[in-house]
Amino acid sequence: MRWLSYVVAALVLVLGGDGPAPAQSPGMAAGDVMRGRFVQERHLKGFNQPLKSEGAFVLVAGRGLIWRVERPFEVTTVITAAGLVQEVNGSETTRLSATRVPGLARLYDMLGGALTGDWRALESQFLVQRRNDTGSWHVVLAPRADASTATLPLKSIVVRGRQFVDDVRLEKPDGDTDVIVFANQVLSRGPLSPAEAGLLAHAAK
Amino acid sequence: MKRVLALAWLAVVLAAGVHLALRLHHGLPLRTDLASLLPRDENDPALRRANEAVTRSLSRRVFVLVGHKDRDTARQAAVAITQSLQSSKAIDILPNASRERFQEFGAAFFAYRRGLLSNADRQRLLEGRPETIAARAQAQIFGFISLADSALLRADPFLLMPAFLASLPLPTSRVVVDDGLLTVVDDDSVWILVVGRLNGEPMELDLQDRLDATLSAAIGTQRNKAPGLEVLRLGAVFFAHAGAQVSLEETATLGLASTVGTVVLILVVFRALTPLMLSVLAIGIGVGAGLSATLLMFGELHVASLLFGVSLIGVAADYTLYYSAEVFAADAGPPQVRLARIMPGITMGLITTVVGYAMLLLAPFPGLKQVAVFSVVGLVACYLTVVLWLPLLDRSRPAAHGARMLALAMMLWRFWDAPRWRSVRRISFAILIALGILGAMRLTVEDDIRRMQAVSPRLVSEQMRFQQLVGLTAGAQFFVVKGADHEAALRQEEELLDRLSVLRKEGALVAYRAPASFVPSAQRQHANRALLRERLETPLLASHLAALGLPESELRLADDRTLTIPDATSIPVLSDFIGDLVLPDMNNGAVHIVLLEGVRNVDMVRAAVADIDGVRLVDPASDFSSLLARYRHRALVLTGVSAVVVVGLVMARFGLIGGLRVMLPSLMALVLAPLLKAIWGSPFTFFDAMALVLVLSISVDYAIFCAESTFEHRPVTLLAVWLTMVSTLLSFGLLALSDTMAVHAFGMTMLLGVALAFVLAPLAAPAQRPATGHDNGGGEA
Repeated sequence: MRWLSYVVAALVLVLGGDGPAPAQSPGMAAGDVMRGRFVQERHLKGFNQPLKSEGAFVLVAGRGLIWRVERPFEVTTVITAAGLVQEVNGSETTRLSATRVPGLARLYDMLGGALTGDWRALESQFLVQRRNDTGSWHVVLAPRADASTATLPLKSIVVRGRQFVDDVRLEKPDGDTDVIVFANQVLSRGPLSPAEAGLLAHAAK
Repeated sequence: MKRVLALAWLAVVLAAGVHLALRLHHGLPLRTDLASLLPRDENDPALRRANEAVTRSLSRRVFVLVGHKDRDTARQAAVAITQSLQSSKAIDILPNASRERFQEFGAAFFAYRRGLLSNADRQRLLEGRPETIAARAQAQIFGFISLADSALLRADPFLLMPAFLASLPLPTSRVVVDDGLLTVVDDDSVWILVVGRLNGEPMELDLQDRLDATLSAAIGTQRNKAPGLEVLRLGAVFFAHAGAQVSLEETATLGLASTVGTVVLILVVFRALTPLMLSVLAIGIGVGAGLSATLLMFGELHVASLLFGVSLIGVAADYTLYYSAEVFAADAGPPQVRLARIMPGITMGLITTVVGYAMLLLAPFPGLKQVAVFSVVGLVACYLTVVLWLPLLDRSRPAAHGARMLALAMMLWRFWDAPRWRSVRRISFAILIALGILGAMRLTVEDDIRRMQAVSPRLVSEQMRFQQLVGLTAGAQFFVVKGADHEAALRQEEELLDRLSVLRKEGALVAYRAPASFVPSAQRQHANRALLRERLETPLLASHLAALGLPESELRLADDRTLTIPDATSIPVLSDFIGDLVLPDMNNGAVHIVLLEGVRNVDMVRAAVADIDGVRLVDPASDFSSLLARYRHRALVLTGVSAVVVVGLVMARFGLIGGLRVMLPSLMALVLAPLLKAIWGSPFTFFDAMALVLVLSISVDYAIFCAESTFEHRPVTLLAVWLTMVSTLLSFGLLALSDTMAVHAFGMTMLLGVALAFVLAPLAAPAQRPATGHDNGGGEA
């Protein structure tokens, strides 16, 4: 489960819009809310076609992430400092407490640093290569040989973006690949909808 | 004739010596396990073996919890402490639950996966809700970041294996694996758990010292580097070390005080060391003979029996003092004459004491039987040594320096005798009776061994925090499951586990670990496969695969293979988890152990499983407490019985009234000692009961000596009784200063009982007056 936290960290980092370019201003502050849509494609060996899902996400700085798959069917994943909760059609199918997965709890430390341009936490685990082109950037995260992530079933994470992240590509050692494409990201200080607040509160229990 | 008997006794002593030497050549066969103190009929060999196996493996567990606000600091400190411990060789550090290990663990189960279902999934299928399993799998596959890769999905499309693995009782429920280290996170700190196994027995003093020195040094170094670092320790070895330190200090101080006090006493009184030498000789022969006889009869000796046996023989030291004090008699005469004068007293004393101790033989408890044999044989040997050897060895002449001591000793007798003290005597009795009543109202009993041991308060508070954080306790309760074979035992466990899971939800315990948690019975695996086939795959597999876009030809489902206990114990990574829960082959069936962690309500656990055949709850601490309660009860009853028998013997010699008079001081001491002790809230324990056995025999001796004494001889008699009392208080009464409650209780009851017995002893003598004496009413009552 640990590697999940690094992936989440990497993702949220870039979702937060704070690209690796040091010149950019710090991204989200507490209370900031980012909303957007995603399309995820999982390319699995032996499967007829990629497993495709799409939906919307809400990232609330300092509180958590709501990842809502709408198609092919509804799956809502909510991650908070308390852990991870997964729901299908409103009924809970998986609940991982942060005390069982300490990485989840620590995720927020990493996020806090990363969102203000502090890459140290990630750099201790990943080799980070960045490239800035005009108007866009490109980051490759590879597990360090000596880090605990070295044993993760993960070859590399490639993140591309402009103002916000455009897509993330996760390469696994046995040839499986996950690709997530983001769209319509909006950063606001707007209040959460009651439904969103309810999901976060429920997951934080 | 005297010489012939003395030589014959020498031959017996030598024979016992040779027997002992032969037996001790291979080490003293001392037992320390509690089960061997149980009555034989309750002493089930399977239970006993299970008990020994679990106790040994539990007592060798060592846990260290290293905590700091900062995760990395805690981890670095834990790794450094682990390295120091490892290089000290005092403990083996158990391999961590690394990711590789976890993968191996999963791989070990993988081939058997069709028969393995988590309880929750099994329940879902039994209740006809297979769609929840399919939905969970699809949510995990389509949802946010999935662990399930193509290889896993093709082998296990419903992702049942991860659910089974997640449901296993890995180390404890609150510990998680974080980057290869066992970790617990609480409100403000990260704690790293280091688990080790002691390289020896927790009672080994040098091992204790090595572990303690290494750990303290390592903790000190890490604390200097990281202020605020907290380290908690848990393990029998730490308690044993603390206990050993307390008792070593006490043994040093109390032992020194006792020895110096006794030597000074004898030097001051006799101005010679001969009496001391004679005492040591008599006691030495008594202990040797007792040990030899016990080993001959029982083949072994429990360490508790040895300690109490040696204490009880201590009474025999009095025989040499009675003998030695005769040098102060005005008409002392040569050694044989001196011996002849005390013969009636010590013979009567021996008979009453031997009869009293022999009563312990009536108990069905092997511990008390050993104490009885040990002390009866030892006492008789002491007596024979005094009677047959002392006059031959003794070169001391009548002493002339005793006048003042004799006069002082007589003051006690005057107090009981003189008419002018009559009102004071009455008031004293009234006060004693009032105190006795007060004590009776406050009398409580205590059998909880945990409260009777010297336990460092710091370790106790560390243990409590440990328990809060991790849910681990030092002494765990466990079930012993006996079945005709492994399969039968596994089925019984499955019934047991169903009830335990309810109890866990109710908060009666934190966690449990059974062989059946890892290896379901063949019956259960068969049922699981049927459930999987009929209730999940038949209705849902095709649609599930269609939803995933996985062609059926790509599936790599497992065959119907059944995991058995021999399979599991031959796979190293599984053997690590269940190896200590499956006892090696027993002739008549299989014996499994179900370990419980963090039991909060033993009675609830006991009651919930009472009706499952072949399952027995073992709770070492409370089992020992109830054992102590039974020993306490038995020792007390036997003291009463032997008091009655002694009354009969004494009456046979002194007549009805005379016998009652002789018993009066004893009975008062026996009743009043525990009551006076209760006044300041000190409870009555088994150790008090054993002290009373001793108080009875000592007090009867005092009384008999006073009763046997002629009027002219009274000063010498009372001086001798005073001497034996002081020496008894120096050896046993000093134990009242101990911090260990068990030792303190024994010492305090001895102190009060023996002191009362001495003060009241003159009451035993008949109102005997010299022809010219004044009339004064004699022994007051």
